[in-house]
Amino acid sequence: MFEQLAEGALLAFRLDTILMIVIGLFSGMLVGALPGFTTLMAMAILLPLSFFLDPLVGIPFLLGVYKGGIFGGSIPAILVSMPGTGAAVATSIDGYKLTQKGESRKALDVALFSSVIGDTFSDIFTILMIFPIAFLVMQFGPPELFAVLLMSLVIIVATSRSNPLKGLVMMLFGLWLSQVGTDPIGGVERFTFGLFELKSGIPLLPMLIGVFALPELFYAVMRNEKVGGFAKLVGERLSKAEFKRCIPTIRRSTLIGTAIGIVPGLGQVVAAMMGYSAAKNASTHPETFGEGEIEGVAAAEAANNAVNGPTLVPLLTLGIPGDNVTAILLGAFVAQGLRPGPQLFEEQGTVVFGILIAMVIANLMFVVIGYLSIPLFSRIVTIKTGLLVPIVIMFAFAGAYVFRSDTTDILILVVFGVFGLLARAAKFDVMPMVMGFILGSALEYSFGQTVAMAGPSPLSFLFTERLGMLALLIATPIVGYLLWRRMKTAAP
Amino acid sequence: MIWNTLKKAAGAALVATLFLGSSAFAEYPEKPITLVIPFGAGGSHDLNARIITSTIPSHLGQAMIVRLSPGASGQKGTQEVANSAADGYTLLFSHNYVDMLQQHVENLPYDPAKAFVPVARVNYAPIAVVVRGDSKYKTFGDLIDGAKANPGGVAMAHSGNWGALFVPAAQVMKETGAQFNLVPYKGGGPAMQALLSGDAEVTMGFPSVLGPLVQSGKVRVLATAGPDRIYDDVPTFNEAGIKGDIGFMHRVVLAPSGTPKDVLNKLESAFSALQEDKSFNRLMKRMGENTDLLLGDGYQKLRDDQSGAYKTLVDSITK
Repeated sequence: MFEQLAEGALLAFRLDTILMIVIGLFSGMLVGALPGFTTLMAMAILLPLSFFLDPLVGIPFLLGVYKGGIFGGSIPAILVSMPGTGAAVATSIDGYKLTQKGESRKALDVALFSSVIGDTFSDIFTILMIFPIAFLVMQFGPPELFAVLLMSLVIIVATSRSNPLKGLVMMLFGLWLSQVGTDPIGGVERFTFGLFELKSGIPLLPMLIGVFALPELFYAVMRNEKVGGFAKLVGERLSKAEFKRCIPTIRRSTLIGTAIGIVPGLGQVVAAMMGYSAAKNASTHPETFGEGEIEGVAAAEAANNAVNGPTLVPLLTLGIPGDNVTAILLGAFVAQGLRPGPQLFEEQGTVVFGILIAMVIANLMFVVIGYLSIPLFSRIVTIKTGLLVPIVIMFAFAGAYVFRSDTTDILILVVFGVFGLLARAAKFDVMPMVMGFILGSALEYSFGQTVAMAGPSPLSFLFTERLGMLALLIATPIVGYLLWRRMKTAAP
Repeated sequence: MIWNTLKKAAGAALVATLFLGSSAFAEYPEKPITLVIPFGAGGSHDLNARIITSTIPSHLGQAMIVRLSPGASGQKGTQEVANSAADGYTLLFSHNYVDMLQQHVENLPYDPAKAFVPVARVNYAPIAVVVRGDSKYKTFGDLIDGAKANPGGVAMAHSGNWGALFVPAAQVMKETGAQFNLVPYKGGGPAMQALLSGDAEVTMGFPSVLGPLVQSGKVRVLATAGPDRIYDDVPTFNEAGIKGDIGFMHRVVLAPSGTPKDVLNKLESAFSALQEDKSFNRLMKRMGENTDLLLGDGYQKLRDDQSGAYKTLVDSITK
């Protein structure tokens, strides 16, 4: 294995490989930063390009697009409170507060360093532990997924900014919203009022832009300042001392993200929220979280990037794609004549290790590219209000529309924008609602699967020896402790 | 002098516009064609379409652009194409279950038989019935007997109700009288993972994705769809007594009804030309897909039969 690793490293250190990684990273970052365009779309469009390139050029190129895209998504989340994906929501909590304080450059720096560190360590861990991870992945089925999702939801409520009861109300509302549309298991339409537009459910992107970005724009207009759209300054770069302060947080989030990446079906959204919650609960100054805490940005970004390594494991060891991104990568592998599966490492070990090492190279290149481009991006917020607000409004509406090219989504955007304003006026945190909405459908699906697996007696799954039961048993004391701690500190 | 040149240039430009204008009317395609896929990114339709759209421009003289429009189990994208102009610039890349089965399960905002005409069936994927390598079911007969002895006790993982794995499973159940416990997963990948982890006893899969798992002995194929053997030692559905158009996913390009005949001819000849295209064949072969083309009228016959067969199937399950 180490021989192949060394040969793979030699294969990956090629000028054209590195050049294409750089191009991929940069284009991914631009696409990820534009609301409405997803990394997934960029990868699907660029996939045919990899058909006609060498495997050690084409696949690292796609991986570069992917990695660049994830970071790109956090740029609008930090600068204008416009998270384009669920994974960037946790980043925007403290990221946007930092921007408002005039420290957008620092926020982007923290996001970059913690993303890259989280990603690199999870990649290295994956390369070294690929077979044990492959074994672990197989231990998780729908009952376990359900238990972990349920635990995540309770933790999110417990760490929300408003008081736990308000958080719970918002989460239940989000869970209800996730039910709108066709029932994923039974096929029955729910709460659609017979409208075809609602049949596939409420789209996530217009909701995210609506509840997070539109209220901020409204307040920016209300403040009626002449200079500096969202902030007057871009602030200093991240200092060494500040970075050192973030290290324990980054380490914790990397571990959490990697562990979550092993559970099939959880993904970046859960990782980011769990990383953030854990950092807030472990902190000696939890009150600074949500008010522009650099550790908050670090926690979310390190965790959601650490998911990437382990999610590749089922693809590489069994040829099974767990989600859409890995399905596109599978296409790229197969078109090159590389068939991921149990024998891939025996037959093509050198090439595969070459690709894995190219992932690590991509991370290192990204530090350079990101660091050099952050001053450019961060300057956006200092454009004067009269120009910036209309531009951001345009991007908000265009982004909501291009995502599905559906005019209904513009209406949905406005409805959630108004909702976001009302919630803010009533001091309700929209975060639990959004998380309930995102995780609600996964929660419902895994519950339906569990019931279907149990067969004739639907409650029998509770009394099996499965890990799901264990997870619920572990969850109860953790949640109890968190709620107890919350109750002790005065809730707003 | 300059004036003259200008006048000449203007005249030439005018003539060119007129010429191009009139010739464009006769010469389809004069702008890129959009291929709408009613499913998400990374699925087998997406991957197949990436191969088609990267090779067909040289035979069509125009680019073909993929637009993914997932939602409502494929109905969102299908409706978009049903409502678009029948000028050959918006096509649908779908499969038989979305095309012909859904109308019998729920009320659709379009009538698929009337709204679309087939352009080309690009290829088809025969389904395979698979169990784990260490499963106690050694043959297809063992599996059916096991499911009959314990109705609803054998878990079959599939990729969603009325989808590409569910329908063949339902058809097998209807033909053999066996009863599986059908458990849904979010796609064929997670369903296969459920089989390997032991959550399911049996699943369905396409040979194009099974290759390495079969070779390493992690899974065993018990039967494959169609009359011809795909694996030398694995019986076909026909041999097991399941006959007809069962267990095939046909990937088909459809156009809105009323598309001019010469436009359809142009498209058909471009798809025919792909049969000779080296890159197209090489990439399809690597993906493990066949290139068994069937042009419009030929596929329409299959389509008519599918509608009737699916109606009987749906009635037998839901009533």
